[in-house]
Amino acid sequence: MEKMTSPYRWGMVVDLDRCTGCGACVVACQAENNVGICGKREIAEGRDMHWLRIERFWVGEYPNVRVRFLPVLCQHCHDAPCEPVCPVYASYHNPEGLNGQVYNRCVGTRYCGNNCPYAVRVFNFYSHEWPKPLDNQLSPDITVRPRGVMEKCTFCIQRIRRAREDAEGEGRKIRDGEVQPACAQTCPTEALVFGNLADPRSRAARLSRSPRGFRLLEHLGTHPSITYLKGGGREHV
Amino acid sequence: MKRRTFLQLGTMTAAASWLSGCRSANEKLIPYLTPPDEGVTPGMAVYYASSCRFCPAGCGILVRVSEGRAKKIEGNPAHPLNRGKLCARGQAVVQELYHPDRVTQPLKRSGPRGSGQFTRISWEEGLALLTEQLGKLQRERATDRLALVTPPLRGTLAELAAGFMRSFGSPRHLSYELLGPDWLRTAARRSFGQPSLPYYDIAETRYLLSFGADFVEYHLSPVQYGFAFGRMRQGRDTVRGHFTYVGGRMSLTAASADRWMAARPGSEGMLALGIARLILAESLFDAGSLTANGLRADDLLRRLEAYDLDRVAHLSGLRQDVIAEVAREFATTRPALAMAGEPVAFQTNGPDAVRAVQLLNVLVGNLNRPGGIYPDAGETTGPEDSFAELLSLVDRMLGDRISVVMVHGDPVHAVPPATGFQEALARVPFIASFSSLLDDTALQADLVLPDHAALESWGDVIPLAGTREPVIGLMQPVVTPLYDTRQFPEVLMATARGLGGTMAAAFPYQSYLEMLKSSIKKRVGPAGGGDFEVVWVDLLRQGGLFKANNGQGKSLRWAAGATLPDPGEPRFAGDEKQFPLHLQVYPSTAFLDGRGAPLPWLQQLPDPMTTVVWDSWVELNPETAVWLGISFGDLVEVTSPQGSLRLPAVIYPGIRPDTVAIPLGQGHHGGGRYAKGRGANPLALVALMGINREPQPAWNATMVRVTRISEKGELVTAGNPQGSYRSELIEI
Repeated sequence: MEKMTSPYRWGMVVDLDRCTGCGACVVACQAENNVGICGKREIAEGRDMHWLRIERFWVGEYPNVRVRFLPVLCQHCHDAPCEPVCPVYASYHNPEGLNGQVYNRCVGTRYCGNNCPYAVRVFNFYSHEWPKPLDNQLSPDITVRPRGVMEKCTFCIQRIRRAREDAEGEGRKIRDGEVQPACAQTCPTEALVFGNLADPRSRAARLSRSPRGFRLLEHLGTHPSITYLKGGGREHV
Repeated sequence: MKRRTFLQLGTMTAAASWLSGCRSANEKLIPYLTPPDEGVTPGMAVYYASSCRFCPAGCGILVRVSEGRAKKIEGNPAHPLNRGKLCARGQAVVQELYHPDRVTQPLKRSGPRGSGQFTRISWEEGLALLTEQLGKLQRERATDRLALVTPPLRGTLAELAAGFMRSFGSPRHLSYELLGPDWLRTAARRSFGQPSLPYYDIAETRYLLSFGADFVEYHLSPVQYGFAFGRMRQGRDTVRGHFTYVGGRMSLTAASADRWMAARPGSEGMLALGIARLILAESLFDAGSLTANGLRADDLLRRLEAYDLDRVAHLSGLRQDVIAEVAREFATTRPALAMAGEPVAFQTNGPDAVRAVQLLNVLVGNLNRPGGIYPDAGETTGPEDSFAELLSLVDRMLGDRISVVMVHGDPVHAVPPATGFQEALARVPFIASFSSLLDDTALQADLVLPDHAALESWGDVIPLAGTREPVIGLMQPVVTPLYDTRQFPEVLMATARGLGGTMAAAFPYQSYLEMLKSSIKKRVGPAGGGDFEVVWVDLLRQGGLFKANNGQGKSLRWAAGATLPDPGEPRFAGDEKQFPLHLQVYPSTAFLDGRGAPLPWLQQLPDPMTTVVWDSWVELNPETAVWLGISFGDLVEVTSPQGSLRLPAVIYPGIRPDTVAIPLGQGHHGGGRYAKGRGANPLALVALMGINREPQPAWNATMVRVTRISEKGELVTAGNPQGSYRSELIEI
C-alpha cells in the first residue's frame, strides 16, 4: 500500500453536547453536493439520498425520557469496509485520509453500501429530476450522479481541492479553519468541527483528544476519521 | 487538440447551433476564449452579501453565484446576528427563486375563486385593474374600504406601506403573523413599561430555565440563540451551562435540555410563581435586585401565598421535590436566566404567565447583566395587539365595509379559521395578492401581481431580536429576475403613481431602490462621510450596517406600579368528557407556520423529533395510544369543537399522556407541486377562546378527541421509529 505522505489527514469532531438536531447540516449538504430530491415513495422504500442524516434515539420512558441526536455521515474510515469489496476500485482511499468514490467508475454492484456498517452510502435507484428551472441551483463543481451509481459524503472534497490550490498558489499549507465542509460551516451551535488531524494543534485534533471522545461502532475496528464527543451532564435520567 | 478541448468546442458548436433560434444565445452560453463583460469567469463563483427575510429573525447571508445562477446560500460571517451560520430554512430559500411553479407574470382570475383558473395578463393591465379599483374608492370617498394585509413589516418597506395607506386615506393596514411576538411586547410594556423585545444572553448563562421558549426552532432568533446555546454548553473551559425546560411537549429545544418538566398545559405561569414563592420563602432571592426594582420580599411573599408548593405541584402535575430542586438550582446558580415562549403565551392565561416568568428574573437579579436578560434590546416599534386588529378587520369584512384587500403573504393558510378570516375574505369583492406562488391566498385572489423572489429583491432587513446592537441587513438582487415579476414595493409605488394627485406626490422616488438608499443614507447619518455611493457599495459588500453597541440600551427595571402577574387557572375550549385531550399546535422545524412547505428540501428534511418526511402527523404518548388502540402510523381522526382532521399518528414518548400535538405548516391547497394537498393544517381544529369575552390568541387552549380510523396512515419516516442502532451500542 502507498505510504501516506500527505501533510493532511482530514477528520471531524462532532460534539453531541452542542448538537441540537436542528437539521441545518442536512440541508447544507444537500445544497452543496447536488443531492437528489427524493419523494415520499422513495424514502418509504428506504432509498433516501441524504449523505448526512441525524439519527434520533428515544431513551427511557415518560416522564423520564430523553432524546439523543447523532449526526451520521461517512466516517472516512482508515480501514474502510467499503473499499476492498469494490470490484472496479470505485471506492478508494486517498492519501489525505478521505474515503473517495469515483462516480464514473462505479458500476452499481452496491457491495460497498452493503458492507458499510454506518449505512451512509446511498445508491441512485432512480434518476433524480430537478424540474426546470430548479436545475439552475445545481453546483457546477460536482457531477450530477445518474441512476445506478453509488454516492456518499466526500467531506466536500471540492472545497478542499480549491483551498489546496489557493494555498499552493501562495506557497503555504492550508490553514486551520480555512476549509470547512458545508455541514460544519452552517452548524449554528458549532457542533461540527472539521480540520487536519495530522496537525496536532488544529482545533479538530485538539478536540478529538477530549476525554469525552468516542468513535462510532468503535469495536468494528474501522478506525473512523470522525470523533464524537459525548454529551455531558445528563444527570437527570 | 486535447480531447477535453475538442469536446468543449464540439459541445459549444452544437449548443450554439441549437440555441441560435432562442432569444439570446449569449445568455445560455459562456464562451471560454473571450470572457463575457460582466466579470463572469467560467467555474469561478462570486459571493453576494444579502439578508434572509424568510422569518423575522433576519440573518445575514452570502449567496454563491456561479455563471449568473444562485447556487447556494451560506451565513454571512460578518453579520453580528448569525456569524456565518444559517438554519435549514434559510438555506432552502434558493428553491424559492428556482421553484418550478412560480407565477411568471400577472394573473387575472377567470374561473370561480379557489379554482386556480387564471388568465395571464400584462403588467400594464394588472396595474390598471388595481388602480381602477382603488380609484373607484377614492371617487366614492370611501378610501377606508381598502385593507392591506401583510406580515409585520420593518425598515423601509414598513415606511412605504404606511405611507401608501396614509396618503390613500385608509387606516386598515393589518400586520399580522400567527407567531408574531406581540405577546412579548405587551408583557414587556406591562412589566417594564416599554414594549421592547428582550435579548437573552444565553451564551454566558449558567442556568437556563425555559418555559416553552423554543429558541432552537423558531423563538425570536433561532440561529443566534442556537449559536449561543453551543457556547453555553461547551464554550467555556470549566462551566457547562445547565438547561431545564418546562412544557407539556418535548420540543426540539427541550430535547437538548438536561431536565424536562412536563407541566400540564396552561400551568406554566402558576409554576413560575410557585418557584418564585419558594425562592422568597427560603430567602434565596437577590435582595439588591428587589430593592432596585422597587419590590419588597415580605410583601411579595404575602401576595404569592396562594402558590404554595402543594397547590402548584397539583396544578402542574409535577412532583414537589422536583419543583423545589429546580427553584433552588435556579436561585443559587448565578447568572441564571428564565425565558417564556409561545406555548405558554398562547393560553388563556398566557399574558400573565409570561409576566410571571419575567418576575422570576427580577427575583434572582438577572436583569441587565451578562448571562441574564436585557429587556431593552432593539426597537420598540412593532404590533402589540395585531390579533385584535385582525378581528376588527374580519368584522369589517363581514359587514361588507371592505371593498378591496391587498394581501402579501398567505394568511388564508396561516390564520386560524376560527377567527372567521377566510369566510370574511370571501365576501370582499376584490382581492389582490402579491404571492410569487399560487398559494392558498393567491388562489382566492382576483388579481395576482407576483413579487420577486427574495434573491431578486432589494430591501433592508432589520432583525427582530437576538442582538443588542443596531443592525440593518441589506438585501440585494443576486441574479437577474427570472420572470416578468415586480417587487411588491415597486408595485405599491407604481399604483400610487397611477392614482396620481397626493398619492403620487407622497412617493417622490423613481424606484424602490432610490427610496431604500435615501432611507439608509438617513440611518448612516453624517458619520458615513462624503460620497454616499461609496458608502452604499461598501454596505452592500458587507451585507448591511452593523454598528458597535456604543449607545447601550436602557437598563429597564420592573415598572413602578406594575401589577403582580396573576395567571389564574387556564380555560379550554371543549367539554372535558367529550374532548379529553389537550391539543398543542407548534411551528414545524422545517416549515415554520407553513411558508417553508413549498420548498422540496424542507419537505424532504426529516423532522428531527419524529423523522417524518413529506407529511404532517399527530403525536400521542405511548400510554394514550395504547388506551385508544392506536399504533405507529395509523390513520386517526382528531376532532375538536371547531372541526376535525384525519392524519397519521406518531407514538411520541416525549409528550404528556393528556396532550396531543400537531405541527403547523402543511395542508396547503396551493403553493406549488411540493406543498399542494400534502398533510393537514391543524389550525382548522383551533377554537377561539376569550378572556372577559375579548378573544385571545390562545391557540393551545383547545381540547380534542382522537379516534382510530384505519391502519393506512401512509406515514413515511426516514429513520427507524427507535433509531437504527441501539443507543447503548454507540454509548451516547
